[in-house]
Amino acid sequence: MSFLSSYIHYIGCFSLILIGLYVVLVKPNLIKVIIGINLMGTGVNLFLVTVGYIHAGTAPIFSEAAQQPEGMVDPVPQALVLTAIVIGVAVLALALSLAIRVYDHYGTLDLRKIKALRW
Amino acid sequence: MVSPILLIAVPLGLAFAIPVLGLASKRVPRYVPVIAMLFNLVVSVSLLPHALKAPIVVRTAGWAPPYSIHLVAGPLGVLLSSLIALIGLLVAVYGIDYIREGAKVKYQILYILMLVGATGVVLTGDIFNLFVFFEVLCISSYALVAYRGDSTGVEAGAKYLIQGAIGSGLVLIGIGLVYGTFGTLTMADIAANVSSVGSFRLFVSLAFLITGFGVEAAIFPLNGWLPDAHSSAPSSISAILSGIAIKAGLYAIARVVYTVYGASSILPFLAVLGIVTLLIGEMCAFGQEDIKRLLAFSSIGQMGLILFALALASATGISGAVFLIVSHGLAKALLFLASGYMIYRTGSRDISSLNGIGKRMPIMSLCFTVGAFSLIGLPPFVGFASKFTIVRAVLGTGSTFFITLLAIGLIGTVIEGAYFLRIVQGFYFKPAPEDSPEQTEGKVPFSALVPVGLLAVLILTIGLFPGIVGRVLGPAADDLLDRTAYVQHVMGD
Amino acid sequence: MRRLISLLLLLIVALGIFLCFSGASFGAEGASRAGKLTEDKVNFGRRYASRGLEENKAGNIVASVVVNYRGFDTLGEVTVLFIAAVGLAAILHARREEATPSKAEPASLIVFTGCRFLFPLILLLGAYIFIHGHLTPGGGFQGGAVVASGFLLIYLGCRGRGLRSAGVAVAESLSGLAFLAVALVGLAVGGSFLLNFLPKGSAFALFSGGVIPLIYVAIGFKVGSELGGIIDNLSGEAR
Repeated sequence: MSFLSSYIHYIGCFSLILIGLYVVLVKPNLIKVIIGINLMGTGVNLFLVTVGYIHAGTAPIFSEAAQQPEGMVDPVPQALVLTAIVIGVAVLALALSLAIRVYDHYGTLDLRKIKALRW
Repeated sequence: MVSPILLIAVPLGLAFAIPVLGLASKRVPRYVPVIAMLFNLVVSVSLLPHALKAPIVVRTAGWAPPYSIHLVAGPLGVLLSSLIALIGLLVAVYGIDYIREGAKVKYQILYILMLVGATGVVLTGDIFNLFVFFEVLCISSYALVAYRGDSTGVEAGAKYLIQGAIGSGLVLIGIGLVYGTFGTLTMADIAANVSSVGSFRLFVSLAFLITGFGVEAAIFPLNGWLPDAHSSAPSSISAILSGIAIKAGLYAIARVVYTVYGASSILPFLAVLGIVTLLIGEMCAFGQEDIKRLLAFSSIGQMGLILFALALASATGISGAVFLIVSHGLAKALLFLASGYMIYRTGSRDISSLNGIGKRMPIMSLCFTVGAFSLIGLPPFVGFASKFTIVRAVLGTGSTFFITLLAIGLIGTVIEGAYFLRIVQGFYFKPAPEDSPEQTEGKVPFSALVPVGLLAVLILTIGLFPGIVGRVLGPAADDLLDRTAYVQHVMGD
Repeated sequence: MRRLISLLLLLIVALGIFLCFSGASFGAEGASRAGKLTEDKVNFGRRYASRGLEENKAGNIVASVVVNYRGFDTLGEVTVLFIAAVGLAAILHARREEATPSKAEPASLIVFTGCRFLFPLILLLGAYIFIHGHLTPGGGFQGGAVVASGFLLIYLGCRGRGLRSAGVAVAESLSGLAFLAVALVGLAVGGSFLLNFLPKGSAFALFSGGVIPLIYVAIGFKVGSELGGIIDNLSGEAR
């Protein structure tokens, strides 16, 4: 029980990552694959935040000088996640534009049918 | 001495300025990459003597490492950034007239940013910053593979993007594990603390990092995207992707394995992977009918050989690997650039349609031949010197394991020789196909002849006088191998 | 078959991750249990929390980290977004030329007026978020995203009106150059890229934190114009 309560965050975020990976590996639809990538990205971002989390911590923002920094969570993972989210948005935008063009050319989003290029 | 940070800041600023310049004049943007890369080349080369004395550590935001991001311009980093700037400059000159369709201004922006990403990867000293620049490199290559919006480009771009995005996710998990364990992101700081934590978690994080970077480096089971992406992109982009981008992935792996983790126990595994990659790449290349796909598969093979040489863990081995990075970068860029105008001329990418082109395009064919011979490893070209260094390093280790692997790897080189000689034979000794339409647009402009010719001259010159590069190779190998010196330079005392 | 292999692969990954959490303490929570949270050496993020306020005079420590300590990452991050905007426009370039101008059904008067009424307010909220990024939660990226949502509203409610591409290009160029210029002035003045060279003022005031608000404003403009451009391109109307 104590294991579950102390690692519940990690279990959650790695479940998301694994679900995302499964979707990417198994689903043939390009849009679903993109959703899978995003699920995985969300899981990774959660993981990074969790790394810096301490039990009952507060946001690392001072609104008055009297506040003590001891109870604050680690600010670095939050900055890293900001970067990771923006990168995720960039990849998502590019992926969707590619999906639009793929649909224009092939009339389908089924990756099994898009096979102009082969090894 | 100029600050190495300008190697990133100045091209970035020029890229940011292109949209405004493009509004003012349609012709100006195509010359901006040339200016940016010329600046980088001059600065990189002028930094080289300083970097050879001691790695230059550049702080950002005024805080000492590990409290801020810093750049480490060591011999290896500056050598690679010079290589990136050199190839980038020549390909930028080539691109002035080569790019004829699609969003031309946007091509130039993405082109600069891709090279900025590669430069950042080889210079940074912070593992998360490495990831950010890696993403700059990767995302601009996804966009460049597909930027014309044609069917093959889009399909290759989508495949590349899916695999690359998964790879980046894995890298990020690895970085999270590292940060959770050590509470730091500075590579030197991690390297100083690595021995203090239980080894299994280190192994898992290292596995995530290698797998993630391995996607971009096209190591064997992760290289499905490469032949499509490299063959569907415009030839100038293929030259950069093959010549520089995949090497950035390999550099990241080498930096993490050697400097950060000092993980010598996984090296035999990497050596085997390298040889498998080499054999698969060369065997697939042998059966190709499409010239650009053939060159792409040959890149996979060469990456395998570089990985194998990196895994030798001896100073000579790593010198050989870095030398091969240089020689393969020059040769593969030359081959893609030369084939670009041959394809324009014949209107087809089939190898058989290139028969007899030696008479119609004598200079391009001659340069292509030089590049091909250098890749095979024939003297007096630079490929011979680099491959010879690797063979010497393997014999120097004296281990039966590595010698056996090398013997298997030599089969790959023989296959490589066979298919390149077949192409060159076709150029000169086979009659041109009867029905080939003479494309008028295939006239080779001056801006394409200069870079192709210069690359051929460089390959020959460095091949005849390997000392030009050889002087840097030893310190570059030490840069990677000598962890204590690296930590000392970055962290101070 | 494919599912089976995928599941097996994921099982191995999951097992590896599971095993690596058993053992030595991990993350900030682990350090907190071991009672090492106050040691700077254990986790350099703690140092920012304890010293960031006096060093940069910005109440929001995350803003300090994003713009100052790890500002170089942020430069890369802005670049990535720029690449996405440019790449997306390039990929959809041919499509926009092929597309025939479609007649958009105008929205009803209520929707139209409502959107026009809300649009300036949304821009104002976005600007507030990025100007106060060093004091309160939020910052350049968040504010920029809010600004872009205003453009999305215009696209949905007032068909036919949209961003002028020349304006977007100028805004994203100049804001990017402004970020770089501030960083380079730091290099020229104090010998360090991104140095916080301005007087830092007193904490919790609007004019505090030195260059942090300046850079956040530049980022806000850049992110707003880039996301706006992405929306404009994805909407796919030929103009």
